[in-house]
Amino acid sequence: MLRKLIFPIVIISLLSSCIELIDDITIHNDGTGTFKYSINLSSSRIKVNSILALDSLDGKKVPSMGEIKNKITAFTTALKGQNGLSNVRSEFDEANLILKLFVDFKSVSQLEQGIKNSIIAVSKEKSSNELNESWIEWDGKTLKRSVPLTAFKRSNEMTSSDVDLLKTGTYTSISRFDRSIERTDNGNAKLNPSKLACMLKVNTFDLRNNNKLIENSITLIPFKNK
Amino acid sequence: MKQVVLLPLLFLSISTNLLAQRSESLIPKEAVTVFSLNNISLLQKISMDELITYDFMEEVHQELFDGSTNGKSLKDAGIDFGQRLNVFYGKSSDYEISGFTLGVSDQKQLFEVFDDFEQLQSKYKDVSIYGSFFNNLILHEKSAILIRVEPSMELIDEQTDSIWYARGNGNPYGDDFYYDEGILTEDIYLEEDSTIQKSEVFPEAADDPNEKNYYELRDSVQITLQNRLLEGILDDLFIKHLNLTTEDNRFTEQMSHTSEGTFYLDNSRNFEQAKGLWYFQTVLPSLYQDIRELYTGNVILGDWSLKDNTIEFAVEARYGERLGSIYEEMNDSKFDKNIIPYINKDNSAFFTYNVNMRQAYEKAYEVVMPILSSEKNSDIAMNVLTIELLNEFINKDALFGTYKGSMFGTFNGVKKIKTKKIEYYYDEETFEYGEKETEATEDMPIFTLGFSIDRIDIPELVLKHLSKLTSMFEQHENYWKFNNAILDAAPLFMINRNGLFILTNDEDLALNHADGYGKNALSKKTARSLKHDGFMNGFVDISGTLNRFPNDLLNQRQSDMVNALKGKSGKMYLKSTKTSKNNTNFLLTYSFLGEDKSGKHMLDLINTMYIFSK
Repeated sequence: MLRKLIFPIVIISLLSSCIELIDDITIHNDGTGTFKYSINLSSSRIKVNSILALDSLDGKKVPSMGEIKNKITAFTTALKGQNGLSNVRSEFDEANLILKLFVDFKSVSQLEQGIKNSIIAVSKEKSSNELNESWIEWDGKTLKRSVPLTAFKRSNEMTSSDVDLLKTGTYTSISRFDRSIERTDNGNAKLNPSKLACMLKVNTFDLRNNNKLIENSITLIPFKNK
Repeated sequence: MKQVVLLPLLFLSISTNLLAQRSESLIPKEAVTVFSLNNISLLQKISMDELITYDFMEEVHQELFDGSTNGKSLKDAGIDFGQRLNVFYGKSSDYEISGFTLGVSDQKQLFEVFDDFEQLQSKYKDVSIYGSFFNNLILHEKSAILIRVEPSMELIDEQTDSIWYARGNGNPYGDDFYYDEGILTEDIYLEEDSTIQKSEVFPEAADDPNEKNYYELRDSVQITLQNRLLEGILDDLFIKHLNLTTEDNRFTEQMSHTSEGTFYLDNSRNFEQAKGLWYFQTVLPSLYQDIRELYTGNVILGDWSLKDNTIEFAVEARYGERLGSIYEEMNDSKFDKNIIPYINKDNSAFFTYNVNMRQAYEKAYEVVMPILSSEKNSDIAMNVLTIELLNEFINKDALFGTYKGSMFGTFNGVKKIKTKKIEYYYDEETFEYGEKETEATEDMPIFTLGFSIDRIDIPELVLKHLSKLTSMFEQHENYWKFNNAILDAAPLFMINRNGLFILTNDEDLALNHADGYGKNALSKKTARSLKHDGFMNGFVDISGTLNRFPNDLLNQRQSDMVNALKGKSGKMYLKSTKTSKNNTNFLLTYSFLGEDKSGKHMLDLINTMYIFSK
């Protein structure tokens, strides 16, 4: 039901031509960290704005820009009230159609739970199987990641022409740590020279067909006690 | 002697032929739009499965999409190809009717297609009535009418509420009922409301099982109204012998044409049913009556003719004399030859519209103002005073010198246009990322719209001041550029030269052809034709235009129309003749390519017209 939660954004994202998504998480040794999430639709402004100019598309109401902004504000407000989360803010560049979300968290589990709670708060859904799924786990040594936006799993409903348009989009997942990465189980993941960050970039069309492409398990070298 | 015997026989033969039941005599007088196919043998080879995909068949879809049409053509459906097939539609504030009438040659075959109908009791002589859930099939002699009558939701609600409250019931929805105004598909509706208890939305069933709850009552009211309306239509057809041919001479005359197909649209009745006029009807009845009289006689009649690989659709728009006098003045305008250089000979679509707004204004003022002035209403009186003062004080030479009324438009295809986008760049050392603005290209349909103008100084004055207010307006040597004007992403160019004010998103036109396309403009032959035709001309290369047109930019109705013609190839030309006080004639010529049967092309056109007129 994540699809419905971020309906205004996702309907546009899925129907738009080129989309660039970045999720960027930093986890410190003590388990605290920062999560950043960006949706960039700037290269599809004509397409998106032409859709926004319509009342409805394929029987679904097309949200106005005001409704989209309200939804973003509501989600951000809900996120601010969650346990273990702080410095929550969102930025929406209306002209370039770029949405950014920033959250500091005390623990990864509180981040995940906080996002789930906020989804429930702004959507009509009070529970769903998808919200029970875990998309991020951290045990102090290994970080397991999957797609936070399981909307892609639902993209089977997209028309073939819309699916074609996803071919030029990218999804980038970045994970940063205080200590070096020992190994990752996704062969496409790239480590930076200092081995403190891991980047995995996939095509949104490929991701739609196989959401496991973004799954990654990152194991760090053992923590050295002083 | 031979003559004495033959004459009565001949007379008898002619009379029998004339008096025989024909499909058109089953068209209800309530029909506002009728598409009539005279030569339906053209359609013999079209499969039923193909036929039912057309929008004008949507009312009978549930009967025909049940496998009963598989592998069948119209020829196998028991239809008499010697009679017309008439598709009709009508709407009033209380109901909507739709359906078609046709000749029947073999009832057994007909009911193999319409196999869900059950016979109902008939009070009419020689009339068999069959019904399914939504539709009724009525057979009389060798003709049939398939009809759907739907009372309006407003009427059903009104009647239901009246009975419901008269029985002493309270609000059927409870006091805290609310709903979200979002447009929801059935799928989403069911998903989103799955957690809501039924009792929260629907009225509770009555304790007494013999007492209907609100929705049961509403269903009963709907069925009763539906039956009553159908009975009224059938009484007219089979007892009073009233139908559209007996009630409207213009339609009868149209039915006498031997063209392959005819079209009838009574615009005056559309005017009467227009919901937006309820205020006038109730609050200002005399004004409503006067305006209604203006529209009296407003009807559109058309004929389809097939000539080799061409379909001609000749349309006559008839109107009353007073409205006609405004049209006559409006269309009394010389063709503006300045536009010719700006239409590229390779444009896949263009139109020219040549009217005289000044004369139209003067005539409309002369016709409409006395109607408004005679109204004894303070609001109207104030409006009349305002209009009369504006008429005195406004510089009409400047106004109509700026907007003369004549215009043209072209579709220059879909081009890649340059836009800006934000791109992320990554530091390979840290994977930190930043943003940079880069150029992007997006597909955009390229349009040009130009207006004839005498006072080029006025738009120039406005643009100069706007450019001082915002940097989004830029003045260049031959044109103005309004940055990000289109969908916040693409620029709009304005060319104010040669007696034209042109708006376009075609950068090539602004930069390289501000004075027109020269040798690449429309040919002299086409230009001569445009000058000699009436106030309106149009051309569409279907494969070059509609097949490439991005539907995202259209509303649902426009999109349906474009979709109805998508995938076809061919060219359409539209031209009008001189406008008189009583009518204007239009001719639409559709020359098609490919191997599709001409009957199929005609159905495609009819389907488009059906969507347009509905």
